[in-house]
Amino acid sequence: MAAMAQKADRGRPGEHGHAARGGTPRPRVGVVKLASCDGCQLTILDLEDHLLELSEHFEIVDFPEASSARSNGPYDVLFVEGSVSTPDHLRRIGELRKQARVLVTIGACATSGGIQALRNWADHDAYRAAVYPTPEYVESLARSTPISEHVSVDFELRGCPISPEQLIELLTALVTGRRPQLRDEAVCMECKRRGIVCVMSAQGIACLGQVTQTGCGAICPRMGRGCYGCFGPREQANAAGLARWFQASGERSAEEVGQLFAGFTAYAEPFRSAITDLGGTRGARRSGGGGFIAAGGTGAGRASYLAGTRRMEGIDDDGR
Amino acid sequence: MMTTEITRPERTTTAGRWYLDRAGLDDLVAALAADGRTVIGPTVADGAIVYDEIRASADMPHGVGDVQVAGRYRLTKRDDARVFGYVVGPTSWKRWVFPPTIELNTGRRAGHRVEFAPIRPRPERLAFIGVRACEIAAFGVQDRVLDAGPFRDADYAARRASAFIVAVQCTTAETTCFCTSMGTGPEVESGFDLALTELDEGFLLDVGSPAGQQLVEGPLAKAIRPATPVEVYTAAADVAATRARIGDPLPTAGLHDRLLAQLDNPRWAQIAERCITCGNCTLACPTCFCTSVVQKTDMEGIGATNERSWDSCFSPGFARVAGGSFRSRPRDRYRQWLTHKFGTWWDQFGTAGCVGCGRCITWCPVGIDVREELMAIAPPIALSPEPTRVEPVAASFDDFVVAQVVATRLETADTVTLTLSGADPAFSKGSLGQFAMVSIPGFPPLPISISRFTVDGIELTIRGAGPATRAMCALKVGDQLGLRGPLGNNWPIDRAVGRDLVIVTGGIGLAPLRPVIHALAADRRRFGDVRLYYGARTPADILYREEMERWASRGGIEVHLTVDRAGPEWEGRVGVVTQLFDQAQWEGANAIAFVCGPERMMQATANTLAGRGVTTSRIYVTLERHMECGIGLCGHCQMGRFFVCRDGPVFSLEQLGDTFGREGI
Repeated sequence: MAAMAQKADRGRPGEHGHAARGGTPRPRVGVVKLASCDGCQLTILDLEDHLLELSEHFEIVDFPEASSARSNGPYDVLFVEGSVSTPDHLRRIGELRKQARVLVTIGACATSGGIQALRNWADHDAYRAAVYPTPEYVESLARSTPISEHVSVDFELRGCPISPEQLIELLTALVTGRRPQLRDEAVCMECKRRGIVCVMSAQGIACLGQVTQTGCGAICPRMGRGCYGCFGPREQANAAGLARWFQASGERSAEEVGQLFAGFTAYAEPFRSAITDLGGTRGARRSGGGGFIAAGGTGAGRASYLAGTRRMEGIDDDGR
Repeated sequence: MMTTEITRPERTTTAGRWYLDRAGLDDLVAALAADGRTVIGPTVADGAIVYDEIRASADMPHGVGDVQVAGRYRLTKRDDARVFGYVVGPTSWKRWVFPPTIELNTGRRAGHRVEFAPIRPRPERLAFIGVRACEIAAFGVQDRVLDAGPFRDADYAARRASAFIVAVQCTTAETTCFCTSMGTGPEVESGFDLALTELDEGFLLDVGSPAGQQLVEGPLAKAIRPATPVEVYTAAADVAATRARIGDPLPTAGLHDRLLAQLDNPRWAQIAERCITCGNCTLACPTCFCTSVVQKTDMEGIGATNERSWDSCFSPGFARVAGGSFRSRPRDRYRQWLTHKFGTWWDQFGTAGCVGCGRCITWCPVGIDVREELMAIAPPIALSPEPTRVEPVAASFDDFVVAQVVATRLETADTVTLTLSGADPAFSKGSLGQFAMVSIPGFPPLPISISRFTVDGIELTIRGAGPATRAMCALKVGDQLGLRGPLGNNWPIDRAVGRDLVIVTGGIGLAPLRPVIHALAADRRRFGDVRLYYGARTPADILYREEMERWASRGGIEVHLTVDRAGPEWEGRVGVVTQLFDQAQWEGANAIAFVCGPERMMQATANTLAGRGVTTSRIYVTLERHMECGIGLCGHCQMGRFFVCRDGPVFSLEQLGDTFGREGI
């Protein structure tokens, strides 16, 4: 069997594991979370058709969302959901890394900092004071950051939430000792293969599919709305070029274009630079003026996506 | 608008031409369905004209038009009830003849044995209604790429042959149309079974094939009547007006040469600031044929299904090999696409890769117009292309022949030579420098150089660098694997007869040259001085050590070795391989050189050889590219006008010209 991980060739799965009914030891798997909504963990639980097969190949030793079993490691494979958002997370992630031979970050929070990273453009103390009656009880870091900013990561599964197909592919690759086949290409490729009409060219809807990594099955364009980038930027994503086109062609202001990138993976480069170049997030600009209410997520960017969901009713007379 | 172009007699004669009224479209759809065909035609969906299955003419657009400019597509209402009053939309017929995803084959490991089984679906019988002239031209281009040999995509051929084509003459045009410039339209002239030209209340119907004639004489007989001269003239005038409306937006005279002379144009970098490299242009294109194979495996790692999907040269991973991508920058990928479509495609297939349908312009999300870019990049200049070289060898895309490991030899700590027997008999006709596609189910097939031809098989020398190569290195005697080949071209050893031969290589690069050395040693008198210059990382990494001593002692071959680093026990040279012949006394005027190694090393070697008088036509190199099919069908190994797998991997520097060593090709 070939080595199981690309970056961290830390031995073979099952090194720490217990044998299943006298067979070879099964790799010990943990699933833990930092700052996140648990949605990616639910994706694991939703693999109903595969759970039995998975349990033959993996020993789940730690998965608070699913079982009362607890372990502090070591793990052959450790899935980590959530961003590093508190001093406690900062301490834990270093420890978890030491315990994990293969560390897989799952979801937009773990891989990019998540929606909570919108605060990275804002005054953290002002946010805290606006949201919590007694902010001194809340220990949080000024920035929400991806796990890869703190420790080395062997594999990433993107998305909000992650894709079950990609999860199965990664697990299969881990157990068979080959590289996972996760395409790094634009969502557009999936749209075209599925025969989905481009919502941007045909309807003028703002769509981030061109700069966003595939894996979701183009679910938003399939539903007639624009991609909002929850799988994060793909390799060499030309976010600046797209931002220029949005401004030049789409009658959108710089602020509106910035909001298009200010979603679940806002803090991942090059989305991060695009947002900063276009003036930061909406909430950040407002927070300076006092009386701030955390309204960033429902600002102009969100509104324009919702406007985009309007399907073309009938056919325009003049082609506009 | 009338023009003087409607003078061709076949256009204006009424003999054998028919009139079908609009209601007769239902008879046409019904007749095709009754013939057991799935009928595909234009429909309105999601704000666009989308080709899809239709059951009656009511499923088709009535009174719908379109407006298309770069990056923008909108449907409009027409003030008539025409069914074909628009031009091409986002779908192309390649969706049916070259589907986005097909299953190729399955593989299975059972103990030491492996099995492969091709999946050959029986395509359904199809009928296409509403095929435009540019789209018929696109079939022609795809036929040349996928079905003109020496290797064929059987799946494509079967689907293509099954389709009944009802063409439509374009009586409208959009700003994105440039079929006139590419010589593909708007007139439909051949390649159809029936052709329609839409008139106010019906259609002029032309017959283009015996199958079309059968329909006209049989099920459609009651729905048609002979066309009147007015109908025939009106139809011809409308199509001519379309031609006049399009004009000649892309002057193509000498475009191939003009474009290929502009590989260094600064415009490539400027386009890359706008281009998102999303790949929409390539997947909307009716002729783009690049694909990738993804292997789906079970969790036991013994069963696998290979699935082939549309891919794009714009995706960063498309030209990736271990160590990086050959076209790492977006500008490289845009240049690759544009120079292929309008330049090197001619060299490979005798036609442009573009039919002027304009899809890549409309569906570019950021509105890049290829016509503008071509005119900005390519000023007039002349170059003459070299003919490409094709080596026909029996093989198919989706099958492997099982061979058995009969011996293994550990060459170095990470490199193993497998001796295989029972391989495809074609290997016995293989030549020096060719490779095989090697497959173990569960891992992607890889191209591996043949390092020796034996009586009933071959040897492969493999360095375990990644999971698949490590799995191959781990094979034991009695294990099986799948082979396809021999593939690619060979070292031109005949050219070395009567000349001195210089072989320069390093590391695993010696493997494809080993058969050359065996051949030289077997017929040593026919060649002049033969010198082998070989570099390895350390003394322990030197391949074929014992054999090499025999080459020197009994084969009459000068062997010069160097290593990158060594301990005190090494008494030989340390340094890069080119330093080995810096001090040598020979002259290169009569020499021919075979070079195999990393591109940078080959460049340095070529420079040194040139300094000794070895001209570019006598320096041969072997190129590495990402290969999936090995037979020029998948597009991964595209390099300028060559497929490295089919036209190479051995090329003379003269052939490669200024593409050799250039970044991002």
